[in-house]
Parts: sequence; C-alpha cells; structure tokens
Amino acid sequence: MTAHAAETPWVGSKGDGGPALRVRGLRSGYGESDVLHGVSLSVEPRTIYAILGKNGMGKTTLLKTIMGFLLPRSGRVELLGYDVTRWPTYRLVRHGVSYVPQEKSIFQDLSVGDNLRLALPKSSDFHSRFEAVAARFPVLKERFQQRAGTLSGGEQKMLLIARALLARPRLLLVDEISEGLQPLMVWRLREILAEERGRTGLTIVLVEQNVDFALALADHYAVLKLGTIVEAGRVSDAGTREAVEQHLVI
Amino acid sequence: MTQFLDIVTFAGELFIVAIGLLLVFGILKIINLAHGAFLVVGSYATVVATRLNWDPWLALLVALAVGIALGALVERSVLRPIAARPLDTILATWGLNIVIVQLITLYFGRQMQFAKSAITGAVTLGGLTYSEYRLILLLIAVAVGAMVTVVMRTTQMGLIARAVIMNEELAQGLGINTRLVRFVTFCLGAGLASLAGALLTPLVSVHPLMGVPWLINAFMLVLVAGVSLGSLAVATLLLGGAQVLVSSYGNPVLGGLTIVILSVVILRFRTPA
Repeated sequence: MTAHAAETPWVGSKGDGGPALRVRGLRSGYGESDVLHGVSLSVEPRTIYAILGKNGMGKTTLLKTIMGFLLPRSGRVELLGYDVTRWPTYRLVRHGVSYVPQEKSIFQDLSVGDNLRLALPKSSDFHSRFEAVAARFPVLKERFQQRAGTLSGGEQKMLLIARALLARPRLLLVDEISEGLQPLMVWRLREILAEERGRTGLTIVLVEQNVDFALALADHYAVLKLGTIVEAGRVSDAGTREAVEQHLVI
Repeated sequence: MTQFLDIVTFAGELFIVAIGLLLVFGILKIINLAHGAFLVVGSYATVVATRLNWDPWLALLVALAVGIALGALVERSVLRPIAARPLDTILATWGLNIVIVQLITLYFGRQMQFAKSAITGAVTLGGLTYSEYRLILLLIAVAVGAMVTVVMRTTQMGLIARAVIMNEELAQGLGINTRLVRFVTFCLGAGLASLAGALLTPLVSVHPLMGVPWLINAFMLVLVAGVSLGSLAVATLLLGGAQVLVSSYGNPVLGGLTIVILSVVILRFRTPA
C-alpha cells in the first residue's frame, strides 16, 4: 500500500476509442447554492478543448467537480468510458488525469525540486522524467533548490505545468494558466502546451478568460455562462470569435 | 549537574509523549484528546507483559503494537466518518479517552500497578551517580526525534507528509491518497503514545488516570511548538526545565502546573505567525 497513487496507463483501457472526457448533466455547487446547472460536454482524445467564460460563471467549479474535489449533486463524469463521478481525486490522478489549479497551488515552503518530486509516486523515476521535462523548463532546473514561493508568477505557472507533465498524464485540466502573466510568458506556455499535445497526444481541457490564448490553442470551445453552456463548437468554424465574445462582453 | 540531568531527561520524557500528538495535530489537524488514554494502554500492556514474565524489552514492542492496533480501530470506526468536522473529532477523542480509562478501571481497578524495568541500576558520570534508565530514555527520545526528522526531511514518505501538512487538497490533486496518510499517521501517533506509556512505566505509578497530566502537558507543548519537531524539542527543554526547577526549589504542586501556566503566557503574548 502506498500513499501515492500508482500509475495505471490508459492504453488498452475499457473505453479506448471513446471521448477522453464526457460530462453529462452535471450539477454542482457550494453549500445551498448551485453553480453548475446541468453541464454536458464531450472532449475527444488528443484535442484541446477550451471552456471560456467570465469570472463567477462556474469554470473552476466545473474542473473541481470533474477532479472530485466537489461532489456533484447530479450528473455523470466519464473518463474513457469509465464512470468516475464519485471517484476520489487521487484515484483520478492514478487514471492519468493531471490538474493545474488556478493560482497559489504550489507548496510555497518546499523547494522547486520537492514540488516536482511530489508528482511521482516513486522517487526512482524522478531523474529521468525530470530531465525530459527540464528541457522545456530550463529555469526550473536552475532554481531546483530554491524555495518555490520565491519564484516569480510566471515561473510558478511553469512549475505547475512541469509538475503536471512529469506525471505523464493522458488528460490535463488547466485552470486559467494565462491569468496575470505577461504576453511573452503566455505565448511561451501556449507553445509548450501545443508541443506537448503534438508530441504525446495529450488531451487538454483549458478553462480561460483570455480568448486570444484559448482560441489560438484549442480545437473546440464552449462558453459557460451562469453555470450553463450557452455556446460550443469547433474553433475553426467561421464566426467563432464573434460568437464567443458576445457572451464575454460586460 | 544532577539538576541538569533531571531537566534533560524530563524533557526527553515529555518529548516522547508529545511527538505522537504533534504528528497527529500536524497531519490530521486535530487535537487527539485520547492520546493520554493510549499512553495508559501502553503502560498497562507493560504491566500485563510483566505478569506474564515477558522480557521488558519485548513489552515495549507489545505496547507499540497494541497502540498501533488501537489507533487503527479508532481511526477507522470513530474519526474517519467525522474527519470533516474538527470540533466533533475533539469531542469524540475526549469521549474515547473517558471510555478507555473506565474500561481499564473496570478490569484492573484503581490501585497502582507496577512493571519490571528493562534496565535497573545507576551509572557514574564524573563522580555523579544517576539512573541508567533515565539516561537510556533520553537517548531513546533523541533517537525517536532524529528518526522522525530524517524520515520527514529525506524520504518520499516524509515529503508526502509535509505536503499533506501544508495543503491537503493540493496533495490530493497530485495523486496522494491523503486518507491513507491520515490513517497511517494516526496509527503511528497512537503507537508512539502507547510506547511512551510503556517507557514511563518504571518511573511513574501506573493507574487509570496517569495519562491526564501527561496529556495536558503534551497538549500545551504542541500548542506552543506548532508543527515543528525542533520547536517541540526546545519547548520541552525550556518548559520541562522550568517545571523541574519549580518542583525542586519551590512547590511540587506548583511545579506540576508550570508547563500549563508558561504555555498560556507564551500563547497570550506570541505574535501570530
């Protein structure tokens, strides 16, 4: 028995061929109030899916419910055909899901290296995997011993992404990674995520308010408004930007 | 010199008693008020082992195993269902403390019990004769503290424990089964309490209420130290030392209150971290 979830690759698992993630009629919220009112979406493997919306529309709640941090009031979450609706979070991670939370989601008092080590169940795997990831995040190698809380905002986001990728997930859920970052850093993160999808076939679900960032990266999109999906489609379809922006204007 | 040895050995005793409480407080974020009862169970396990003519060293292992098993039972049946309600866990562990003490009273009675010591005799240090057992106890306290520190600082298990202490939800998001971490920690905390009770048995009178003063002192020391082993070691030395001095030069009854009084004063004037 180990405290850290063992890895279970998805290859050859029950649902090969189906959507990487399917959410059906998901209702969730905090205390007495409902935040999500029956959200449904389907994310194909090896695609990038952007969920756009203004603050308070339920984007983070959706990711937290998928990840098992919040129990849904009704509805269903499936990962490659497995009903994972009430699975504990650690078990979802075991099944190949990595989650990059919105902010302050590093262990500030631990070193950069220790933050990264926590992504893997066995420390013996760390060095080979880190070398692969460090090629894309050289700054983390330079600051390996540094306390993570002393990194800049952009470097902390790099650390979050690197930590998620170290686990070699099949599905990556990313919550507003571009928030508060300089354009150059946003561009770099976009490049890294696109490369990772191209190289490993990773499926990515992005929650974003930054329309430029999201539409430049994603294949599919949905707009979440007051806990309901009001618009969805392929990014390559004509009129996507206008359709998205009409829901995001204040 | 004798005074110095009294201070450091008493600090060692306090450290052994408090370390399990500190681990549970740090990781489970609860104050386990059944810690004193687990200590009593460890003492009585040693008493029973003595009656069965078992080796006193083996009795220590028996006490540790009994404590771990009892901790496992309590965590699974009492604490896990109410883990999300911290106030209820405090009340539940206090209730459990009463139940365990009453069960022990029912079976063994209220009279004092005695157990064989693994080590008897004294050693001479620079012309001073001092209890060998107390010195060994100090070494055991240092060894336990060093072992926990090494595990916490250098192993993956320790890293996981530190992550859970800092942010349990974030640790879950990295695939860490925090429920298992909580279970193992509680078992370890109960085992250490029980081991502490067994180690104290040759030095104190064994009776059903013996855990109360140790629990109160350990509780105050953990509140003063926070979740730092280093701070706990310093707190046991300073506050335990004060208790020894007040008991020696003042009044033993007042000495028994020293740790509580000083802890309250420190908590009152300490700047919040």
